[in-house]
Amino acid sequence: MFLEKLSRRKVLERMGAGFGMIPMLSLMQQQSAQANSGGLHFAPRAKRVLFLFMNGGPSHVDTFDPKPKLAEVEGQQPEGMKTKGTGFMPSPFRFSPHGESGVVMSELFPMLSQHADEMCVIRSMHTDTPNHEPGLILMHSGTQQPTRPCFGSWVSYGLGTENENLPAFVALCPGMPVVGPQLWSSGFLPASHQALSVNTSSMDLNSLVAHLDHPALSRDQQRNQLNLVQQFNRIHAQARDTDDRLEANIRTLELAYNMQAEATEAFDVSREPAYVHEAYGKSNFAQSCLLARRLLERGVRFVQVYFVDKGKQPWDTHQDNDGGHRRLCADSDRATAALLMELKQRGMLEDTLVIWGGEFGRTPYSQNDKENKKPGRDHHATGFSMFLAGGGVRGGTMYGETDELGMHAVENRVHVHDLHATLLHLLGIDHTRLTYRYSGRDYRLTDIHGEVVTGILA
Amino acid sequence: MLRFVLVSLLVTWKIGVVFAADSDEFFERKIRPVLVEHCYSCHSQEAQKSEGGLRVDSREALNRGGESGSAISPGAPEKSLLLAALKYESLEMPPKNRLPDDIVLDFEKWISEGAHDPREESIANAEPVESKIDFEKGRTFWSFQTPCRHELPGSSSLVDDCNPIDAWVRAELGKNSLDPAPRANQLVLLRRVTYDITGLPPTVEQIAGLGSLDSSLEYAKLVDELLAAPRFGEHWARMWLDIMRYGEDQAHIVGSDTSLCFPNSYLYRDWVIQAFNSNMPYDEFVRLQLAADIVTPDNPDDDVALGFIGLGPKYYRRNAPEVMADEWEDRIDVLSRGLLGLTVACARCHDHKYDPVGTEDYYALAGVFASTEMYNRPLKADAELKDNGQTKNEKDALHIVRDIESQNLAIMIRGDVNRRGPTVPRGFLTVLDQSPLSTEPHSLHRAEFQQGSGRMELANQIVSPNNPLTARVFVNRVWARLIGRPLVSTPSNFGSLGDLPSHPELLDDLAVRFVQNGWSLKWLCREIVTSATYQQSSINLQAAELDPENRWLARMNRKRLQVEQWRDGVLVAIGKLDSQIGGPSIDPSDPEVRRRTIYSEASRLKLNSMLALFDYPDPNTHAERRAQTITATQKLFAMNSPFMVQSSRNLASTLSAKKLTIRQTIDQLFLRLFARYPSPDEDKVALEFLDFGGENLEQLAHALMMSNEMMFLD
Repeated sequence: MFLEKLSRRKVLERMGAGFGMIPMLSLMQQQSAQANSGGLHFAPRAKRVLFLFMNGGPSHVDTFDPKPKLAEVEGQQPEGMKTKGTGFMPSPFRFSPHGESGVVMSELFPMLSQHADEMCVIRSMHTDTPNHEPGLILMHSGTQQPTRPCFGSWVSYGLGTENENLPAFVALCPGMPVVGPQLWSSGFLPASHQALSVNTSSMDLNSLVAHLDHPALSRDQQRNQLNLVQQFNRIHAQARDTDDRLEANIRTLELAYNMQAEATEAFDVSREPAYVHEAYGKSNFAQSCLLARRLLERGVRFVQVYFVDKGKQPWDTHQDNDGGHRRLCADSDRATAALLMELKQRGMLEDTLVIWGGEFGRTPYSQNDKENKKPGRDHHATGFSMFLAGGGVRGGTMYGETDELGMHAVENRVHVHDLHATLLHLLGIDHTRLTYRYSGRDYRLTDIHGEVVTGILA
Repeated sequence: MLRFVLVSLLVTWKIGVVFAADSDEFFERKIRPVLVEHCYSCHSQEAQKSEGGLRVDSREALNRGGESGSAISPGAPEKSLLLAALKYESLEMPPKNRLPDDIVLDFEKWISEGAHDPREESIANAEPVESKIDFEKGRTFWSFQTPCRHELPGSSSLVDDCNPIDAWVRAELGKNSLDPAPRANQLVLLRRVTYDITGLPPTVEQIAGLGSLDSSLEYAKLVDELLAAPRFGEHWARMWLDIMRYGEDQAHIVGSDTSLCFPNSYLYRDWVIQAFNSNMPYDEFVRLQLAADIVTPDNPDDDVALGFIGLGPKYYRRNAPEVMADEWEDRIDVLSRGLLGLTVACARCHDHKYDPVGTEDYYALAGVFASTEMYNRPLKADAELKDNGQTKNEKDALHIVRDIESQNLAIMIRGDVNRRGPTVPRGFLTVLDQSPLSTEPHSLHRAEFQQGSGRMELANQIVSPNNPLTARVFVNRVWARLIGRPLVSTPSNFGSLGDLPSHPELLDDLAVRFVQNGWSLKWLCREIVTSATYQQSSINLQAAELDPENRWLARMNRKRLQVEQWRDGVLVAIGKLDSQIGGPSIDPSDPEVRRRTIYSEASRLKLNSMLALFDYPDPNTHAERRAQTITATQKLFAMNSPFMVQSSRNLASTLSAKKLTIRQTIDQLFLRLFARYPSPDEDKVALEFLDFGGENLEQLAHALMMSNEMMFLD
């Protein structure tokens, strides 16, 4: 379907206007008249995406995947492996079921647990590599090398934006995550589909978004100046034959002017009342979540929030796994719960797809820190947990299983490609048909893989 | 709640060993690797061998057994021939050495527990190793036919004094009932040709000193001057750097470890500039970049050219087999799409589905890169070295390549490094192979490379005048840059999924003459820009209606400037361009930095935000062409960035200092920014705005700098 539309797509791009780019799929609606699904491949269950990324890899056996058996084998080495620690290490945290549905999570999530009935915990995630860099790139773009567009760019390409005055895709990160901007790169898609990356180290408006204000001119003075620009532009265009690009530039300049006001408002979390700030917390991650909610509310299609700390990957708890998870989960618990609550209050949760997780999980066995004797856990790719909530996800569900020690996903296994396929499905897109012709073939987010996980669809 | 209970039950029910012998894990960890390592070479479809009629590469085949009967009896190890053979009780397998006892025990356990085998039959059967490509037939496709000159169309009188380009373009115009546009006026032409050849606008002095361009002699003289300026190489080098994914670091940098970065990559960039300025023949240009160390061993200065490969991405965890396979793919992709206009990389996993490029061809090429290593060669004699002769610190090095022990690669089935097929000798693509030493009865074959890694033989194949693609692909890229629209609209794909040329004879004609004229880029530029086609006005109302895409070229394309031209144009207009050639890289968004944009740092990790905003390609991969987006964030940059604000202030104060009249000031602005005088309407608008008072000159300058004319070339 996309293939047939490529030439039309090129024309549209020339008409232009990145942020205001007419969404690919709504055009198809005009042509294929699939009224019931809004021009998409399926009736969409979600309109927008919020990906909360726990950089470093949270430990599944300490959060969403209880493994009581670990206590029985504590101290034993996993079969056929040489580990850097003292063998299997049970979680010190208490697990219990929550809500009507009984979704299980550890005591580290006292606030999130109140939203248990909205959550779908996938306990059988697996990925291809236990290394951060390729793992991160795989989770973002469906491949291990930095050569392809990321998930958010694909969504921007497929769905466009709901608000012409704001970008379709925004990445919020205090500093840089490991790997860096490749994580929100549009790869071979047009550059307008890359994320607007926002450094949330400081929530000061001027440092958040580049070039949002003229250093000297007032808005009125600038309006006056832009009127002058547009007068010249019109004289220029009139002396020439019709050229869509000239018109698109004239229009986009107006968009940019409007965006200054709109973004100034949208990105300014200081406009939120104190009790809202209180609900989220003060951390970088909490403030990013609050900003994410403001952006989603205003029509941004895809917001990616990174839980990153000074360019480090805080969830990478090679040392003091327990202490680390206590601290990290407290922060993530509060902000995520506040976010879910607010989305629910605004009626947005039902069509906002929320994803929580990292690039992989952590080992059920220990990795000792010799100095302070507080053991950590190592990277673990063959079984880990993530959770989804909102837009079309079957809430109150636990899906899939790892084996009794949390080593490997064994039942209803969900690969990263399957997750991507499912997320696109919820957005109304068939992952096998969201394609882009590049280098002589049609590329997809899921490459040649991916199965929609129907068991987690509402 | 119910679900929770069920889950808990399952958890407690599944007890016992970590990997049950009837589990997938047991098979994957204990059984499959042994079969692959010790048995597949004689008993698998991949190896095209089934000794004794036995294959062990699928569940079904293993159960079926071979000439001696069934290989395994699930649940009955004592009846299983496979086990007996492993124990050296009957047959002795593997024939060289008996496997260690613990492995044999694993097999015994596995069989006694039912020989659980999760392998899906379909995968093994779906992969015929033998290629079904019909190369003879493939070679009949237009782009695999060697280009030749065709008889020029039209009356002989027209042909005589006509640039052949125009003869071909006119012929198509005639067929499509279109009339060419008149010649552009001379200031439009001056701005066009100056920007196109040097990447810069004409200066006020150049405009003032301009004679009449009406005579073709005068115009040709101007073109020659522009081609001779060192600005030429700076502009055209960027075309090449897009093609070869020029980068100065890596997309992954672990912590502060910069050992895989290329701090001296600018030496390669400067070499490219120099090569274009000295009009190095394109065949030599390519040969040096692939194999300078072998082609001119006595001139180590040439080796900087090897950055073409040596500045390629180095991926995280390099040296792991699967990561090196990814790196080879990058090299093959740049080489095949960049130089040959062919998409070869997809043959890493399977034969190309549309073009005559087989998996064997891919691994024949990959073997060349597997026999080559990235090499940090010391720049100075006193640099500290590692045992392998490379510098300890990347800052002391020239980033090139060198041969290592040659190796031929075994095909990786479906691209999987652990599933190997037959070994393929190093060589070129069968469909393009030009070597005369055929031992086959038919002319199509892949000659084995003999000399070291084979880089020089590879280069010679690529730049052979008989190679049907190399010259066509390069000519098409240059044409696209000058005319604003390629003849083949998929510049890196001349295969069957690419587009056909709009003017096939013209493309062939130019390609042949390009080679005849010494593979000279300057010749090619001159030939194109002196054509009437190039010198047309960009306005032709009839053509705009009948041929809106301008496929038939009844007018010049209006080109959007690339970010380099646009920023450099600002610097020229404000009179601040720093003309230093070469040297370490700069930050182009810093208003205090006035060197040309070609010198911008090209980061694979974090591309400069100004460049990223304006469609500069991702330096991680080959760029077929630049996207042309129009976004609000670009406009915010134009409206509010320090670069633009500071530059307009500079321009205003430069003009103020000249003590000109208001009218002269406005003239100066238009001349500097648009290389023309204002129209009466524009004059009026500008005058009215200036009437408002003091700071308005700065605002007016800024307004013109962010207007459409600043970024388009008529």
